[in-house]
Amino acid sequence: MQDACLWIALVFYALGILLIIPPVYRRRPSLSPASLGALGLGLLAHAAALALEAVHIHRLPVTDVRSALSFYAFLVTLAFFFVYLRYRTVFLGLFMLPLVFLLTLISALHAESSFDSSAFRGRWLLVHIGSIFLGYTALFLTFVAAVMYLIQEHELKSKQPRGFYYRLPSLEVCEELHYRSLVLGLPFLSLGILTGFVWASRTWKGPWEFDPKILASLVTWLIYLVLFSTRVSGAWRGRRAAYIAVFGFAAILVTFMGVSLLSGQHGYFPKL
Amino acid sequence: MNLTLLGINHRTAPVEVRERMNIPEARLAEAVSDLVHRAGVREGMILSTCNRVEVTTSAEDEVDAEAVIRRFLTDHHHCDMSNFAHCFYRLRQQEVVRHIFRVAASLDSMILGEPQILGQMKQAYAVARTAGGLHGTLNDVVNQALAVARRVRRETALGSAAVSVSYAAVELAKKIFGKLTGKTIFVLGAGKMSELAARHLLHSGASSILVANRTYDRAVQLAEAFHGKAVPFEELFDHLGQADIVISSTGAPHTIISKSQVEKLLSARKNRPIFFVDIAVPRDVDPAVNELDNVFVYDIDDLGHVVEANKKQREREAVWAEEIIQDEVQKTMKRLASRDVVPTIVALEGRLNHIRSAEMERYQSRLASLSPEQRQAVEALTRGMMNKILHGPITELKSGAGEPEHAALVRLIHRIFGLEE
Repeated sequence: MQDACLWIALVFYALGILLIIPPVYRRRPSLSPASLGALGLGLLAHAAALALEAVHIHRLPVTDVRSALSFYAFLVTLAFFFVYLRYRTVFLGLFMLPLVFLLTLISALHAESSFDSSAFRGRWLLVHIGSIFLGYTALFLTFVAAVMYLIQEHELKSKQPRGFYYRLPSLEVCEELHYRSLVLGLPFLSLGILTGFVWASRTWKGPWEFDPKILASLVTWLIYLVLFSTRVSGAWRGRRAAYIAVFGFAAILVTFMGVSLLSGQHGYFPKL
Repeated sequence: MNLTLLGINHRTAPVEVRERMNIPEARLAEAVSDLVHRAGVREGMILSTCNRVEVTTSAEDEVDAEAVIRRFLTDHHHCDMSNFAHCFYRLRQQEVVRHIFRVAASLDSMILGEPQILGQMKQAYAVARTAGGLHGTLNDVVNQALAVARRVRRETALGSAAVSVSYAAVELAKKIFGKLTGKTIFVLGAGKMSELAARHLLHSGASSILVANRTYDRAVQLAEAFHGKAVPFEELFDHLGQADIVISSTGAPHTIISKSQVEKLLSARKNRPIFFVDIAVPRDVDPAVNELDNVFVYDIDDLGHVVEANKKQREREAVWAEEIIQDEVQKTMKRLASRDVVPTIVALEGRLNHIRSAEMERYQSRLASLSPEQRQAVEALTRGMMNKILHGPITELKSGAGEPEHAALVRLIHRIFGLEE
């Protein structure tokens, strides 16, 4: 049943994403109601899939790669709606939603590989995974804002306005989104890492400090800390800050995807 | 339906002719009233702006409306129209509808997408309506044109990109700063151009303005006009750091703002962006300043390039707008045409009903012996035959409405059924 819901969500997402193409082609700033409607229905179906899964396994469905991806895709779509309501720019959809589609697709294709382990029970872990995911969602927005900034900044510097100049929001809007999502994302990331430490020190045996995933997430955290502090002090703004945000998200991808495939304590996070 | 439009615009007629043919607003109502009281004219509207004079009528079918409009213009302007005949375009039926739609949507304007024309069209519509010139087909067409113009505005960006240098500066400022609320403008060198750009920026929400000029008195003057503050030219760099947008147009023979100076400003501003609009020739701002992060320098040529790109953008949008127009013209023509066939259908039904009742009358005596039920059956039988016969022609009339060969079909039906013209 939850798989059917996920496939329905996927179909609606695909429809919503396809409907983004005409306004982008026509250089319209905002999405069509049809596109938003399809995405909204996709989100509902996705919520239903997650809820059914949660009822089925009696906890938040985030403890195997398949449902984690699905849950993350859901959060990103939700974030898209919140941000779109505020900024109304078509590019948010264009940058954010293909990822949603891809993650949901991967999740739907691996319907059978659900995974359970007693190690995945416990409140600390839920807080750990929940905050990490909220943090990742916000920081993905930071990344999207940074990419939009870099493109628009390039358009303005080059003094030859092309398509992007007309389609993208102002630098100020990109910076605002960048900063707000960073301010939201960094505390969640910090909380997620801290609770992870607590849980690891209680649960894992052996030198958990050298788990590759933990090291990678520390590096990621440092990158975002630098980004935040230089932004607040005003030392790095605009283009440089945007580059760091892109770099930071690359670090997240390495942490989230890459290291899971390596060995270490997180290694019993099953491979796809 | 007999729609005719006779007009001149900026492409077909030089300004001497346009001003000669112009009908001033004060006399517009009287002119419309004169027009629609001429023989055979049902409705009329006159659109008279600095770029066009267009007279549109809806007339009785057999009337040569073009001649009526020519005579009207001759009478009105007391001149020999044949001198200007080559400037006029004459449009009929569907061309009229398309033209009015395109004019209202600003696709026929000198500056593509400029917004004034819609207001002028609304004005012309209101005047013509009050003067009793609009109440039928033409009224519907103009009304629809206003709706189509709104649709074009909603669904395309035809009127959005800036096509003048000073507006392009405002647009760029908005692309950098988003809203201009709370932003400070620095006008460096008081001139016509910088004054205009500053005015647009203030109008778009910028909140304060600083002015510096070689002659301090001129700076004070301009600052007063904008409720801003004048700054002595020598103290320029003490104040420049407050400015988000700098409009520069001094007569200095070399650049006065260098990269290193701006670098200092930036660190004092915590890298908040600065936008230099350098409209001076020779330039005031060293082009190398543009290499700094969070600084954008546009000189007069750069602004020109933006305007050119924006014009192209409007042309691209015009393609979409033309599609909307095409679609709306077809819909409107279909509606007008189907309304046009109503009299024919009524006449056709009347004709057959007349034959039926005449025949019933003729057989009255022979049918006298029938019972009421049988009489009713005969009634139903004849009526049924009539409706079966009518079904084909009526369907054909309705479905083909608006097609070019449809008029011939209407004439044919008139002829074979002996309907009065």
